[in-house]
Amino acid sequence: MLNSYIKPRKKSAITQEIQLMFTFFSITILMLFITFVFLAFKDYTFAADSRDIHNERVSIEKNLQVMKSDISYIEKQKQFSQTIYTKNSVLKDSISNLFDLVPQRITLSEAKLLENGLILYGITPNKDVYNFMLQAPLRSIFHRTYSSFYPAENGWYRFVSTNYTDKEEELDIEN
Amino acid sequence: MKINISRQHIYLLSISLFLLIFVIVFAFAVLIPKGKEYRIQRTDLKKESKELRKYQNFSDETSEVLQNLRSENRRIITAFDIDFNLERFQKQHKSHFTSLNISKSQKLKDQEEFTVYEVNTTSKISSPTSFYNFLDAVNKSDWIIDINFPIDFKRDGELIKSSFTMKVYCNNRDKNSTASVSVAK
Repeated sequence: MLNSYIKPRKKSAITQEIQLMFTFFSITILMLFITFVFLAFKDYTFAADSRDIHNERVSIEKNLQVMKSDISYIEKQKQFSQTIYTKNSVLKDSISNLFDLVPQRITLSEAKLLENGLILYGITPNKDVYNFMLQAPLRSIFHRTYSSFYPAENGWYRFVSTNYTDKEEELDIEN
Repeated sequence: MKINISRQHIYLLSISLFLLIFVIVFAFAVLIPKGKEYRIQRTDLKKESKELRKYQNFSDETSEVLQNLRSENRRIITAFDIDFNLERFQKQHKSHFTSLNISKSQKLKDQEEFTVYEVNTTSKISSPTSFYNFLDAVNKSDWIIDINFPIDFKRDGELIKSSFTMKVYCNNRDKNSTASVSVAK
């Protein structure tokens, strides 16, 4: 037997209001989570980028050290070679000047160029020619000049001229 | 006055409150600190990138300086790298002498990070001009050579017999191995 003439409507715990509220909160929470995931992902990429930058910087620093050391070494090579080239050129000029210094009438048989001196062996028609034409300029160049003569077969004189520059005196003059 | 609230409304209100509190707590406790951290990291990264760019620019400039230096001094760099070769030296410079004899080089004490070899030379020249030409040629040769005292010129008939020592400078391969390797690139 029926107690009512109408059919009972179905009752549900999830009413329309609750559905609406759930939809609203679902969207809100979803947006919050999406933002959170975005921030977390960005944090991760920033950390990775930062690591890459650090590694690259370390590599550049290493490379820079190597390049700086190369530059300083090449500069050193350049400076050192220039010194040697200059020394060789000065030597060439010195030898040229030495041979220009010897007058036509005096003949050299041997010349020894030392670090701080010059030894000449030769033959001169007489002592005066040697004294005025060779010894005088040698005296003006070197600090100490010693000469010794011994007669040659043809009446000329063989001579040995020993000339030295004192390094200490050079230093005194510089000071 | 009696407020009549149905049980359903109470459920609705309590769930709403709970979710609202969750949203607020989540936003303030998690999202806002995370956002701040993100902003700080972004600024730091920009700063680091800027610094890295500066470093790269400096590195590029240094590299350019090095390249220029290498190209300008290629001959000198190569000259320090090459080992002294007696036969080659004789071949290159014998034109300046009537005869040229070179004795085996011996190693001297290192000088300014360079290895030094001494080479004894005896030669015959027709005139001092040949020796001047030799000195000019030595400065353009394949090695770094320092003509050293004592230099002896002795008359030998129509020729001049000359004897002298030369110092040949090379890279010290032990000390400058890093530089040498990079220079050779």
